[in-house]
Formats: sequence, structure tokens, C-alpha cells
Amino acid sequence: MKATFKIWRQEGGDAEGQFRLYDVDGLTEDMSFLEALDHLNEQLVQRNENVIAFEYDCREGICGQCGVFINGRAHGPNDAMTTCQVHMRSFKDGELIVVEPWRAAAFPIIKDLVVDRSALDRIIEHGGYISAKTGTAPEANAILIAKDKADKAMDAAACIGCGACVASCKNASAALFTSAKINHLNNLPQGKQEASKRVLEMTRQMELEGFGSCTFTGACEVECPEGISIINIAEMNASRIKAKWLE
Amino acid sequence: MFIRKSIIAATGLFLCLFLVVHLSANCILILPEETARTLYNSYSTTLRESPLIKIIAYVLYLSIMLHIIYALLITRSNKKAKPRGYHVNRTKDNSSWISQNMGFLGITILLFLIVHLTNFWARIKLGIGENVGLDNNGHKDVYEVTYALFQNVYVVLFYTVLMVPLGMHLNHGLKSALMTLGFYHKKGLRLLAKLSLIYASIIAIGFGVIPLIVFFK
Ligand code: HEM
Ligand code: FES
Repeated sequence: MKATFKIWRQEGGDAEGQFRLYDVDGLTEDMSFLEALDHLNEQLVQRNENVIAFEYDCREGICGQCGVFINGRAHGPNDAMTTCQVHMRSFKDGELIVVEPWRAAAFPIIKDLVVDRSALDRIIEHGGYISAKTGTAPEANAILIAKDKADKAMDAAACIGCGACVASCKNASAALFTSAKINHLNNLPQGKQEASKRVLEMTRQMELEGFGSCTFTGACEVECPEGISIINIAEMNASRIKAKWLE
Repeated sequence: MFIRKSIIAATGLFLCLFLVVHLSANCILILPEETARTLYNSYSTTLRESPLIKIIAYVLYLSIMLHIIYALLITRSNKKAKPRGYHVNRTKDNSSWISQNMGFLGITILLFLIVHLTNFWARIKLGIGENVGLDNNGHKDVYEVTYALFQNVYVVLFYTVLMVPLGMHLNHGLKSALMTLGFYHKKGLRLLAKLSLIYASIIAIGFGVIPLIVFFK
């Protein structure tokens, strides 16, 4: 299988970037997208050229490191999937594959396809945890949690922080990420105690980091590898209004 | 930022409510000529003279201004959050065109609003432009202003065609505003999506056909 990659190359944060074209031969449909990039990088090494910088860790959809924009979609052509889960069979033989880094003012480019997503970590630092020491894992039924609440919290907790929501949003809003982190904790008895403080501080940090505001285009929930619903954003807004103006 | 967004949503909802009242009243225009003239003119006079309506009118002007100003400000800060777009971006695969273009749709509504207010509000309320006559009951003949205006094909087309972007803006705006203000009931949201479409269609088609009916009267 053949493909032509059109890949964004940029030496560093302040450097000018540009697209470069790479004709790649010897691919197979069973290769993952990242393996295809590895394959291309091996050829670049042999030609004594700089390899393309891209991020990954688990290569199985867990860590959220690998996001890039492929042919106009975050994490490639499929809905609800990470870049590392995309296979070359998702593309036609000989297809032109355009690969770009996440674009957002809050995600400065480090090199080529690698962006700095530490803005998301700083949002977590502002309340995306429970401050009380809870010791070792408690007996499972010691704290009762209604099924619907547990489900809601678990669905929100699935967020792997990949940044696809920010990347696909026309406003580079981090509302889906932040709401998932907030609702995951606020729906549980352990997180409830600090619910208002959490929602105020995390959303404040989200704005300080320079993410845009949410217009509910819904692009984020389609591109989210974990299928996190934008209803989380509406719920975050409700908690925000309650914490800010009603308490 | 969130306060700005909430103001856009709250003023937007108020404008949505206003449009329902406005459209209901405009339905008088499609009645037979003499009934329509008497009814519309006396309705319009009652409104103009009511102190309560005066207050509501000021709330309306304020809402329009706040909605536009904050929409423009928020659009600008959103652009700053995303200074550079993608070389290839298949937004159609993940979202509706309408939701991606609320600002553009808003600008077309603004264009409509400017023309519309010059046609009616400026003449009737501010007395700018051609003088407005009186009907047999001594009421300002607002019906005549409407009727005369909608004899011109281009005006009729302008009024009809520009209801399409309005309907689009409202279809996304209604659902989005409620979510911005914290409505997160899952089944309720599914219903809301349908209601937004129905609401937007009624408003757009309603306002859109009235000039056509008056033209062919
Ligand atoms: C009859 C007039 C109008 C009505 C009823 C109306 C209604 C609404 C509603 C309900 C929203 C949703 C708010 C949200 O997303 O939370 C909205 C959003 C918006 N409106 Fe309007 N609108 C009107 C006129 C305008 C005009 C004249 C503009 C001109 C600039 C405008 C620009 C916008 C923009 C840009 C948004 C989206 C904000 C965003 O993308 O975050 N609207 N509108
Ligand atoms: S590399 Fe871990 S999710 Fe893709």
C-alpha cells in the first residue's frame, strides 16, 4: 500500500512551520497509523533527514498522548477513536493524508506534530481531585452511590485528556474536558463537599489558559475518543451558575 | 467570559419570546383589507400608548444591543483562542454548518434589522422619513405603511429571503442558549432539539410568507 503524507513540520515554538510532502511505499492495511509514521521515520533516518516528532505512549487508546489532526478530523476519519487506534485500512491506496498538529492558542507547538497540552494539567491542578486523604481502597459498599450517579461519574471519568475536544472546536474551547473532570467528581459523595469551589476554580483556570467559549457545535463529542457527551457542559454550566450567583 | 456568554443566551431567549409576540400580531396583516387596517392600527396605537409596553420596548432595545455587542466580543475572543485554523477541516463530519456560523448568520440578521427598523420604527416612532397618515379612527395608519412597502417586489424578496438565516440562527440559538444557562436534562434536551427546529421554522416561515401574502393581496 502507498500513501502520500502531507505533514506539518516546525522546528520549534517560535519557528515558521510548513507542510512537507512524503511519498511512502511498503505500507500495509494492518499497520496502525502510528506504525505508518514510524515506517516513514525509518526511511527519513536512512536518508539522514530529521525524523517527524509525534507523541504516543500506550498505543492502545488509554493514555491520550497521540492526538493529531488527520485529513480534517481530530484523531483521523473515524468517530470516537484515538489516533493510535486508526489503521491504514481507513485510507485508500495512494491517498493524500494531511497531518496537522492540534491548533489552539492554549496548545503551543513544541515541534512538528507535538503540542504542549499542560494547560489541561493546570486546570486539573485547580480542583480536579479530592483534597481529603482517603487512605487505602475502602470496602466497596461502605459509601452507597446510586446507579445513575455512578454511571454518570464513570462516563465523565473516561476522559483521557487527549485534547481532541479543544482541537476540533472552532473556538478552541476546553469545556468538554473541564466539564468531564468536574462532573466525574461532583457526582460522587466524596467529591460533593468541594463541588462549588471545584467548579469555580477549574472554570476560572480554563478561561485564564486562553481557551475559547462553548457554542455547542457538538464537534467535540463526535471527535472525543471516549464519547463524552456535551450534556456534561450544560451540567457544568448549571453548577457554575449555582455556585456563582445562587450560593 | 461566562457572564458574557450567559448574557448572549439570556438576551437571545428574550428576543425569541419577542419574535413570538411580533409574529402573532403580524398575522393580522393577512386578514381582509378593512379588518386588517382597523385591527392592526388600533393594536399598534395601544402598544405605543401603554406605559408597560414602553418599559418592555426599552428592555428590547437593550437586549438587542447587548446581544450584538457581547456576540461580537465573544467572537473576537474565540478567534484569539484559535488564531490559526487547519489546512483541511471537515467540520461537516462532526457538526452542523449553522452551529459553526452563528456569527455570520447574526450579521445577516443585523443587516435585516437595520433595513427593517428604518422602514417602520424610524418612520412611525421617530418620525424620520416620509410622514405617516391617519386612518378613519384617527390612528396612525401603520397598515398602510406595511401595505405600500410590500408592493415592491425587491422589498418583499428581501424580507422573505432573509428569514432563512434568521430561522437558522434561532434553530441553533434556542437549544444552545438553554444549555448555556444550564439545562442538562437528557430527554429534555432531545425534545428541545425538536422544539427548536419547530420554533425556528414557524418564525421563519411565518415572517417570510406574510410579505408575500400582502404582495399578492
Ligand atoms: C432577532 C434577533 C436575534 C435573536 C432572536 C437571537 C438569538 C440568539 C440566541 C438564542 C443565541 C444563543 C446563545 C448561546 O449560544 O448561548 C444567539 C447566539 C448568537 N447570536 Fe443571536 N440573535 C439575534 C440577532 C443577532 C444579531 C443581530 C447578531 C449579530 C451579530 C447575533 C449574533 C449571535 C452570535 C454570534 C451568537 C453565538 C455566540 C457564540 O457563537 O458563542 N444575533 N442568538
Ligand atoms: S498512544 Fe495512548 S491513546 Fe494513543
